[in-house]
Amino acid sequence: MSTQTAPTTPGTTRRPAAGRSPSRRTVVNRAPWILVSPFLVLFVLTFVLPILVAVGQSFTSVTRAGLFGEEGVTSRFAWFENYRLVLEDGNFVASIWRMFLFGVVQVPVMIVAATVLALLLESASSRWPGFFRATYFLPYGIPGVIATILWSFLYVPGLSPIIDVSEKLFGYTPDFLGAGTVLWSIANIVTWTYAGYNMLIIVAQLKAIPTELYEAARVDGAGPWRTATSIQLPLIRPALVLTTVFSIIGTLQLFAEPQLLKTVSPAIDSQYTPNLSAYTTAFAYNDYNLAAAQSVLIALVAFALSFLFLRLTNRSSR
Amino acid sequence: MREVTRRELLGWGLAGGAATVLGGCATPGTTSVNAQPVVPAAAGEKITLTYWAWLKDLQKVADIWNAQHPDVQVEVSWIQGGNGGGYQKMYSALAAGGGPDLAQVEMRTVPEFMLVNGLVDLERYGVSEHADKFDPTLWSQVSFAGGVYGIPQDSGPVGMYYRPDLYEQVGAQVPTTWAQWAEVAPAFREAGVYIDSFPLDDTSPFTAHAMQAGATWLRSEDDGWVIDMASEATLEVARFFDKAIDDDLVTTSANPYSPGWYAAAADDKIASLVSASWGDALLQSVSGADGKWRVAPAPRWDHGYGSSFIGGSTSAVLANSKHPKEAMEFAVWMNTSPEGIDAMIENSGIGWSPARDYIGAPREEPSEFFGGQRYNTEVFQPASREQNPDWQWWPITQQTFNILGDGFRRKATGGTLVDAVVAAETRTVEVFRQKGLTIRKADR
Repeated sequence: MSTQTAPTTPGTTRRPAAGRSPSRRTVVNRAPWILVSPFLVLFVLTFVLPILVAVGQSFTSVTRAGLFGEEGVTSRFAWFENYRLVLEDGNFVASIWRMFLFGVVQVPVMIVAATVLALLLESASSRWPGFFRATYFLPYGIPGVIATILWSFLYVPGLSPIIDVSEKLFGYTPDFLGAGTVLWSIANIVTWTYAGYNMLIIVAQLKAIPTELYEAARVDGAGPWRTATSIQLPLIRPALVLTTVFSIIGTLQLFAEPQLLKTVSPAIDSQYTPNLSAYTTAFAYNDYNLAAAQSVLIALVAFALSFLFLRLTNRSSR
Repeated sequence: MREVTRRELLGWGLAGGAATVLGGCATPGTTSVNAQPVVPAAAGEKITLTYWAWLKDLQKVADIWNAQHPDVQVEVSWIQGGNGGGYQKMYSALAAGGGPDLAQVEMRTVPEFMLVNGLVDLERYGVSEHADKFDPTLWSQVSFAGGVYGIPQDSGPVGMYYRPDLYEQVGAQVPTTWAQWAEVAPAFREAGVYIDSFPLDDTSPFTAHAMQAGATWLRSEDDGWVIDMASEATLEVARFFDKAIDDDLVTTSANPYSPGWYAAAADDKIASLVSASWGDALLQSVSGADGKWRVAPAPRWDHGYGSSFIGGSTSAVLANSKHPKEAMEFAVWMNTSPEGIDAMIENSGIGWSPARDYIGAPREEPSEFFGGQRYNTEVFQPASREQNPDWQWWPITQQTFNILGDGFRRKATGGTLVDAVVAAETRTVEVFRQKGLTIRKADR
């Protein structure tokens, strides 16, 4: 940073005497900035700038004349043209609705499952809670890509033992990868991966509940069920809100699972989820401007949904 | 060190951000290397060329060249295959003004790289003197508007792999026409076997069938692109497979070479497979398949050509190469000299060689896996000569394929392939126009 040689600015005139060693106050003031600068530099370079560039790209349009653009390439400020094209693209809009449907079903299922697991583990009568906590959390330790490959072997006809057993016992051949079912096959993978993780957040909050409350409840004659509904559930509300918001954002960003299952399921197209759509536009079609517009829209929708959910939960708690 | 106020920091951030936004808006790839002066040949000094490719062990091939050419050394860097990450890397490098001298680019992707001014026109470096060393069909697929934009590296003429034992079991003759194919297919269904599979999400086999039937989806003319996707030849192929799927003659749930397909093939549930020559290596991954498969020419339509190509790549000279002439000479050597071809077959397992006169010594031998059949000289060599010479790729091939594939997927929910083809033509025209490119529909 240019310091000593900096020309006179309003900042320097405020100093009482130039050339004097910096006062203790300025050192104290400067310290946090120095300490935070490694983070700040990376944050700006890898987070703020890419977002700004993406927003800029989303308002730009490039046209090429001739067969390959040999008759001239022009790039111009296009206002909202890219956004119009994206919103006119039925497949992209459909992918957002698909994720909406996915979220409405999968997020509650997962949060309920995580809550039930957490309550069971934290109930007084649970055995080996440490072992089970680790077991439930284990799927989160498996990268999403590997998890999807593992599950795909359980979904593919001819390889899947589930399908074999179902055929032998019930004479029914489940189709996990069909047009109507593959979304829920993905939901299953996501739930399997993240239920344990969300459970852990809820467990942490449960552990923060003061023991006096449990004692008071017991003295008042509350059983495990009553304790759960009247003490634990209301007090883990912040954790539930947090995990739900994370899950809503995560749902809109679904990418790895459908991208990998695409190879075994013809039902997953190149625009199955919003992120897959943006990825395809950017890296298969080389149209970064349109992809930027898609990404910005995904971010806006995620923001709006999270905000809406927080507003709803805040209102109902009043 | 002066105290930094929060306001100043914010100011810098915004200014820097705005500068980057403006910089980012100057979309790269807007100037053409082919309008600039020709780069002269290196005068005596030692140079090193870099080659990005996803073929394995290609350095071993380059080492043969390196031993003979001490002044022009070639270094190969392995990259991810094409759309799996390789192209993204090349596009970024090109945008940043760098990148290797040579890169592996698929035939169908060559025009997409031309769209971002990523390739050197080799015509300006005298490539035409080598033209007669290459398969003429493949040569025309890298030639556009009087220029040549890549050296063909490999391809895949189409034939039919089949299981003689399963054909015998149902008492069917190996079909030589698609009409015969449709006649014998039901017999296999009675035995719980499929004659073949039809992938709904990979359009390249369908494209090859249309190519074989004589369709040319797009061609470049002096006044712009001419699209003829929904031609009668293509629609006939679409109707044919619409019916085959409706009659349950083919499976749509096991794409060739997918885990499900391998499982079905190992279980004797797949009787034949119309696919490219490079499928020979993939078939060997079917468990217990040794000696069970043979190869026959692809079934024919009642017009069009004997075969078609699926896949295929080029060694392309990228725009920022400092030594385009030497890079071109290496690529020609590698892809046409017998030592280069043999080394590429042995080390890298390339597809069909694009050289006109030499298929590679290992490919002339009888194959143990195919029960001693000399399938390369018997089937694929003639197939490589019975090709649709008019076929061209276009600047948004991948996007058209995805649009078509998205349409094909609706087959599962009541759509038809015919509808998908017609819709893909319309949509492709729209995308061309959005990009500003000139396109018109063919008169028909």
